[in-house]
Amino acid sequence: MIEYYTLMHKGDSEEYTDNIFMNFDSTVTVLIIYSSREGSPEFSEEEKSKISSMITGCRGVPFNEISKILERDITPGIDYMLIHINDSMINIERHGAIYAGIVKNGELKRLPNGPFSIEDDDRVVCGTAEFIKHLSYPAVLSDALTAESSEEWMDNMVCRISEQNMLAEGNLTAVTLIVRKDENVRV
Amino acid sequence: MSDWSLIADETRALIAYALILFLIALCAFIYFHIYYRKSIKGVVTDETQLALDVAYFHEKGKRSRQEDAFYISPMDEIRKYGFTACVSDGMGGMRYGDEISQFITDSIKDMHPISFFACENNAEAVRKISNSIFEEYKQQGGATLVMIQIYNDHLSFYSVGDSDIILIRDDEATILNPRQNYVSILIRGLVRSGKQTQVAYGNKKARALVDYMGNHNPRVIYTKKPLRLFADDTIIVSSDGLTDALPWDSIPQYVERSAAATAANLKMSVKQKKLPRQDNYTSIVIRLSRSIV
Repeated sequence: MIEYYTLMHKGDSEEYTDNIFMNFDSTVTVLIIYSSREGSPEFSEEEKSKISSMITGCRGVPFNEISKILERDITPGIDYMLIHINDSMINIERHGAIYAGIVKNGELKRLPNGPFSIEDDDRVVCGTAEFIKHLSYPAVLSDALTAESSEEWMDNMVCRISEQNMLAEGNLTAVTLIVRKDENVRV
Repeated sequence: MSDWSLIADETRALIAYALILFLIALCAFIYFHIYYRKSIKGVVTDETQLALDVAYFHEKGKRSRQEDAFYISPMDEIRKYGFTACVSDGMGGMRYGDEISQFITDSIKDMHPISFFACENNAEAVRKISNSIFEEYKQQGGATLVMIQIYNDHLSFYSVGDSDIILIRDDEATILNPRQNYVSILIRGLVRSGKQTQVAYGNKKARALVDYMGNHNPRVIYTKKPLRLFADDTIIVSSDGLTDALPWDSIPQYVERSAAATAANLKMSVKQKKLPRQDNYTSIVIRLSRSIV
């Protein structure tokens, strides 16, 4: 199974305008929309509800198909990242300033677009540029390696961001994911 | 006519056998040389291992007594057991801070050699040290602990409290261990309710420790898997007397090519600050470089 934790914080903005859509099956689908980026086109309510129902009903739909629908339906210029993750593989498609990194063999490596194999206890973080810009690679890595859960990992990263800006800047949007084989699932 | 005819038949036969044996040995040698060179290449890469250069300082500051303590494992055993270093900072304003920090580092010393790979067991051993302090001192004193282990090019660390393990890489400093203080709890609460966090830093108890050595069953923060190190990384294991005087993100400007020069720079810079209430300050500086083994 995939353990996850999401951060959706509005910072000092009037509203939280980014979005995270998720679908849970044996494969977890995550879609991050970074519409709070400066200069980004508006992500309308109509678009939001269309994408939301598409992700809700995407169980069993191949990654490439979802990707094609998103490319068709999301206004050009809006940054987004689509992730498919299960116990053995992760598939990513990034459009714009959203980043994904994987903790493997004591290192944090940035994930490019495409499918990659993953193993038990691999840890993945995906976040918008606004979230990532305050964190060094060793900080993300160290917080991942010391954390007991995806929630604790996120909390520690947020503490680091808070030390720099007291969370008084833009929207913060991120997801932490940990691969847990059944025997390692924490209750 | 060949001189061979002068040699007896038995001798000629012996020479022929010897030649055949020599050829077999030569063939075997060439075969094993090619085969094993391939196998060995799989284990030993062309990369050289990381060498450690270590230095430290241990200063009293303006305090009347030294409540920091530290331990560095024997340098001549690095290849065999890896490297261990720790700093413990006795809690100011409480009794027995000096005794407790010394007890902690002595206990770590007694644990040597500490397995690099048994992270969970090591964390449990640290918890047991804390529990014995709890039994002995009944929370009338406590200390922080930061401990690192380096084996080949990997780092593991253990932390209780708010002392620092700082990694300097590419001229950027990162405090690796999350601090166990009250402000981090306040921040979590504020984030969950969607608020900004200014109020957390204004709280009078913001810097108070929520866990420490001397508490019963403290949470030991430790790396579940080791972190990869690279040549030119510098690691500073330190009590907060250092980062109270010098902001942690300014530390890269004091880093030199050798650990001794970095330690000297840091020590001198803290002294030059002449803070009227300078706390004890202790740091172990570790510089990594490529080395031919």
